[in-house]
Amino acid sequence: MTTYISPFDERTVEPIAFAKRPDTLSGARVVLLDISKAQGDVLLDRVEELLRADGATTHRLVKPAFSRRAPGELLEQVKIHGDLAVEGLAD
Amino acid sequence: MLEAIDADGIGAAQGDPLRDGVVVFVEADCPTCLLTITRLAQAGIDDVGIIFEDPAPVAARSARQAGYRGPVYAEAAPYATSERLGIETVPTAVRFDDAGAELERSVGWDRAALAALLNADLGSDEPATKPGCAARWTYTTEPLDELEEMFDLGYSDGLPVVPPTPQRVEAMLGGRDPALTLGPVPPGNGEATYERIATCAVLAGCKPSYFPVVLAACEAMLDEAFNLNGLAVTTSPPGQTVIVNGPIRERIGLHSGVGALGPGWRANMTIGRAVRLVVHLTGKGAPGGLDRGTLGHPGKLGLCIAEADSPWLPLHVERGYPREASTATVIGGDAPLSVSDHRSKHPEQLAATLAWAAAATWSPNWWPLADVTQLFVICPEHVALFNDAGWSKDDVRTAIFATPRRTGAELTGFGEAAAAAHLHPDQTFRKWLDPAQIMLIAAGGEAGRFSAVFGPCLGMGSIPITREIT
Repeated sequence: MTTYISPFDERTVEPIAFAKRPDTLSGARVVLLDISKAQGDVLLDRVEELLRADGATTHRLVKPAFSRRAPGELLEQVKIHGDLAVEGLAD
Repeated sequence: MLEAIDADGIGAAQGDPLRDGVVVFVEADCPTCLLTITRLAQAGIDDVGIIFEDPAPVAARSARQAGYRGPVYAEAAPYATSERLGIETVPTAVRFDDAGAELERSVGWDRAALAALLNADLGSDEPATKPGCAARWTYTTEPLDELEEMFDLGYSDGLPVVPPTPQRVEAMLGGRDPALTLGPVPPGNGEATYERIATCAVLAGCKPSYFPVVLAACEAMLDEAFNLNGLAVTTSPPGQTVIVNGPIRERIGLHSGVGALGPGWRANMTIGRAVRLVVHLTGKGAPGGLDRGTLGHPGKLGLCIAEADSPWLPLHVERGYPREASTATVIGGDAPLSVSDHRSKHPEQLAATLAWAAAATWSPNWWPLADVTQLFVICPEHVALFNDAGWSKDDVRTAIFATPRRTGAELTGFGEAAAAAHLHPDQTFRKWLDPAQIMLIAAGGEAGRFSAVFGPCLGMGSIPITREIT
């Protein structure tokens, strides 16, 4: 059998496990992360209303540019202010 | 004949997988199969044999992507095991007794049936059921040849490729260290070793003499300021267009004359394709996967333009390189729009034609284009009209910039989307914020008054990057 050189990086990447989902939103601290895309705030405003109605407290954060990865400091802020996070895609 | 996969991250095979246990027959290009393997992995199941009707490297890659840690097998054409067991659909899970007799099977993704067959909890995430795909032995009859094998291995952008044998890759490297790297390639962050870039160049059909251009273009493309991560995943259509300047054009046969945007010239076609294959394969930026481009465009197969010699300053000199240097410049962009102007007699008229054509790009109702560089390719007859009037590239750029103006009222006439941008009806808008957003190069056949403007890609903050070819 002919062997070929692979164009792929075949190394194993450890999958990142999801955190356990909470049983209730009551009392949860939820970060709402706006990625700075048009009308993302419209979606997050409504999500925020629903979360508060379920007893959660919310904290809004904004990513500087939607097309670039979130800076490490911003991710730290997400961890500091939230037990849970909702990222708002838009358009 | 089943081949047990012995590879990093894959569970060790133990004994005959077709006795005393469960196997699932799958194919890597079947979404239902990938769903099934992923759900098994998420449920922590690692004692089910996954049998791929795919080449071994594809089986290993797919199992890793799904996070599956159990034993994995590959079966090559003509898929005798699958045919003998009458597996007509993938995925199909089969339980065998210790004598190899079938006890029960579950076809497609049927969460409840598979959970019962495995005596396991497969969660409650939707969908509960999903039909599978036809097993390969039911429709594959032609013998495998090496070109078909490339498709089976996933080494393709949809067109046939040149098989990357070790000899071809070594020749492409031309003595360079294969372990050298340009760093991770977005969006999937596969490492761009020289060996993998050379492999993509072989696949694309490059000659070894083209490889320095491919390397320089990749280095430029991986500059953080280019934001390949955003360009590679966006729903908008951009590819990575390569512009080559300097003496290397003649040395390797890069074409800048008639039909400069292609097709027809091997160096242009294959260099552009190699750069895109680095994104598509090494960077895992395949459309439908991490690449979410709604439409894409044909130039995403690869686009390499050589700027023609003209009375104007060439792009690389404008960007600070000596005239004798050879450079590759990358710019993210949409498809080209041809602009015919056979009527203008004066440079102001021609600049206005080009400007108003460009004013429709991205969207006729989206002014200004805030963070883009927009590429214009000017044909020799149009260059001559400008040059005969004494206009430099800067003069053309300034005139294009100054021409299109629209009021907020005119833009909101296009509907609610523009109105949502809160445009004041009396405010006047330009299409660009600065003349520097307009990039001009000369190319094309001597006859014909057809220039082109490339659609830009808004929202990426992508800056064109130039690297010297060494």
